[in-house]
Amino acid sequence: MEIIEKIKTNKSNENLTEIQKICLHKLQSSPLPNPKSELWRLSNKSKLSNFLDYSVNEKDSKFDIPYPKNSQSTIRLIIGENCEIKLIEKNYSIQQLSEDELKKYIKEQISFFNQNENWSDLLNLSLSCKNNILGLKINGSKIPPIEIFSHASSNSLNAKTLVIFLEKNCDVDLLQVNLGKENSSLSQSTFFCLKENSSVNHGVVSFGESRSNLLNSLNVIQQKNSAYNLGSLHFKFNYARFEISIKQSAGNAKTNIKGMQITKKDEQISTYTKIEFNGPNGFLDQINKSLADDKSHAIFEGSIIVPKIAQRTDASQLSRNLLLSNLAQIDTKPQLEIIADDVKCKHGATISQLNEEELFYMRTRGITLTEASKLQLSSYFQEVISFIPISKDRWDLLDKLLNEN
Amino acid sequence: MVNENLVKDVVKEPYKYGFVTDIETEKIEKGLNENIIKLISQKKEEPKFLLDFRLKAFKKWQKMKEPDWAALGYKKIDYQDIIYYSAPKQKEKISSLDEVDPKLLETFDKLGIPLTEQKKLTNVAVDAVFDSVSIATTFREELAEHGVIFCSISEAVKNHPDLIEKYLGTVVPASDNYFAALNSAVFSDGSFVYIPKGVTCPMDLSSYFRINSGDSGQFERTLIIAEESSSVSYLEGCTAPMFDTNTLHAAVVELIALDDASIKYSTVQNWYAGDEEGIGGIFNFVTKRGKCLGKRSKISWSQVETGSAITWKYPSCLLLGEESVGEFYSVALTNNLQQADTGTKMIHIGPKTKSTIVSKGISAGKSKNSYRGLVKMGTKATGSRNYSQCDSMLIGDQASANTFPYIKSQQPNSEIEHEASTCRISEDQLFYLQSRGIEFEEAVSMMVSGFCRDVFNQLPMEFAAEADKLLALKLEGSVG
Repeated sequence: MEIIEKIKTNKSNENLTEIQKICLHKLQSSPLPNPKSELWRLSNKSKLSNFLDYSVNEKDSKFDIPYPKNSQSTIRLIIGENCEIKLIEKNYSIQQLSEDELKKYIKEQISFFNQNENWSDLLNLSLSCKNNILGLKINGSKIPPIEIFSHASSNSLNAKTLVIFLEKNCDVDLLQVNLGKENSSLSQSTFFCLKENSSVNHGVVSFGESRSNLLNSLNVIQQKNSAYNLGSLHFKFNYARFEISIKQSAGNAKTNIKGMQITKKDEQISTYTKIEFNGPNGFLDQINKSLADDKSHAIFEGSIIVPKIAQRTDASQLSRNLLLSNLAQIDTKPQLEIIADDVKCKHGATISQLNEEELFYMRTRGITLTEASKLQLSSYFQEVISFIPISKDRWDLLDKLLNEN
Repeated sequence: MVNENLVKDVVKEPYKYGFVTDIETEKIEKGLNENIIKLISQKKEEPKFLLDFRLKAFKKWQKMKEPDWAALGYKKIDYQDIIYYSAPKQKEKISSLDEVDPKLLETFDKLGIPLTEQKKLTNVAVDAVFDSVSIATTFREELAEHGVIFCSISEAVKNHPDLIEKYLGTVVPASDNYFAALNSAVFSDGSFVYIPKGVTCPMDLSSYFRINSGDSGQFERTLIIAEESSSVSYLEGCTAPMFDTNTLHAAVVELIALDDASIKYSTVQNWYAGDEEGIGGIFNFVTKRGKCLGKRSKISWSQVETGSAITWKYPSCLLLGEESVGEFYSVALTNNLQQADTGTKMIHIGPKTKSTIVSKGISAGKSKNSYRGLVKMGTKATGSRNYSQCDSMLIGDQASANTFPYIKSQQPNSEIEHEASTCRISEDQLFYLQSRGIEFEEAVSMMVSGFCRDVFNQLPMEFAAEADKLLALKLEGSVG
């Protein structure tokens, strides 16, 4: 109940938007997710309560984009800074969604919500004030890459919401960066709607500072012949959850996901994915990698749901995990729920450590153990990092990961 | 295209074990309370420690809730509407098989279980359990020569109370889960096996479970202890008559393997599965667990699950001893409205432990077949390995196949590999076989048995042949 009080005391009832009221009402019946449910049972309770401990912040402190420097060819947007954008060029247009469009779409999404599965979204939408919701409608092709930032301020609980409509035949590269601050919590919900024949290379890079928390939820709806490619990376969070829900609403769509999470110290980072095929000829290729060191805990749970209508679905899911310390823990649970009979579905999972033979080989060639481990890790990271758009040259993610190791 | 009618025309052989033996039975009143438990204990002339064990389990059971996490839907079980003890009436003491009621012998004869002397040609010792009691155990003298104890658990309680007191409930404690607690409170009979140090059991041991009455549940308990450097292969078979009502079967099986011992436990479960509309059938809630206590010990589960309306069963291995090995080979077939939630748990506790899981699920009709498994590497399980493979085959577009593998590792110096796939019977392969003159149904059953080969190879000979036939039989009329 505390969390509801917290949101309410922050402002009077009249100042709440309709969406906030609806979500608050839904949260009222069960303010916290059921700790026994599959999606929450492994989640660290005290870390979750630490997430909710901070006071709600609606006004951002000044934000300096850490690096790299802005370049002209990239469109850069920061959620919460009253960013206004209206770009209408020859090949493409990027416009903000009107308030009515936003409200209508979010309300529609809420009607499908399930208390446990969408608790993070409900929390986000009940916290997000008007300023912190960004809605975009993207149309056309040859669009310059877009970078969208969400950031938290120290000692506070922040909520940012992003809604993106990709119009028919649109094709875009989009990188979302979620930045945590020291002692902060960030709730980020993203709603993506891909219309027919559209395609996106979506990157999600989230990293924090010491003691930062993140609840990152991503809801994607794919219409026919759309292609959704997601490359994601989460690291340096005391507590982070990345919840992905993808629905191929009429089948015939392609989804590629490559995700990675890296945990150290006593961090806990988890990824939950749910991919539903609501039509025939769907395609999914998913790989999720985890690395757990020190006393940390990495979790992956992925479910693939193939109902009767989704004939000729071709789905594969792989969970690869590296466990580097005696005190670290990895949980992984890939799941298949299949009713259609003419499908090809498979999943796999491995948990191991760095390959000793390879390490030995490199050492016999005069490479030090540290260097050899770095080489191995870089090949492990590279597969996912090279899949994140825009990042390759400009974000130096690989260096960042390796040098912090 | 596959000709649907062709398959449907195949002779639909009814469940051939569905007959009821008309025999006078002694039943106690329905319901479950402390007095009933005391009555069961009294009827079996049990020592006090066992009655205490039962009552303690009953108290725990009363406080527990029926689990609802499995992907199963079934009507609520009324635990007060079940008879917890039912036994065929017979003379006080029987000294030889000749004194067993001929009707009972006939029953087991019909089931193909050789109890009478002249039929003992097959080299398998059998313990036959009818409703709540064990009827007969064959080859006892020969086994005794080797020091092997093979008898019903009630006899073991009387003749070897020290072993029972030492081991009962050590692998599956009474408070383990709802159905194990219920079983601990009311278990009526089952088999007991003790293989002494250094002995390789000279023949396969087997128990055969038969439910005969429609209103009583069967709660058997099996305990197998393999001392140092011993080995045994144990087979279990089950059938039940056809009733419109659902009968509850909640068994507990405990295996203990000490240093260098090996236990192979094979099951062909063919309880009555209910009719095509899903009426009747056995509710099968079984807790099976083996403890590899000793170094280099090995426990291997192989199972063919074809019967029961509801199956809830996770034969597991606790790998404590250094270099101990756990194996699980399973074929689960569901047809019509059957539901199965089955799999295994491999808990790696000791160092250098190894486990292998091979699970094949076949779902046909409107059935639901789920694999649910847990592989856990504890903090001390250095150098341990696991390999799991779960394949599902879907026949028809109304069946469902689910896979829920839980994998947890706390030990970096260990390796876990898991893979799962789902497919259907390939029309190309069917066409190929048919073009070579192989009849349609034979082609299907060849393909199914090819799909299950990895598991069938692990079954003892007689079982493998039976399992193959059983699958072909069960699938008749379901391929379209």
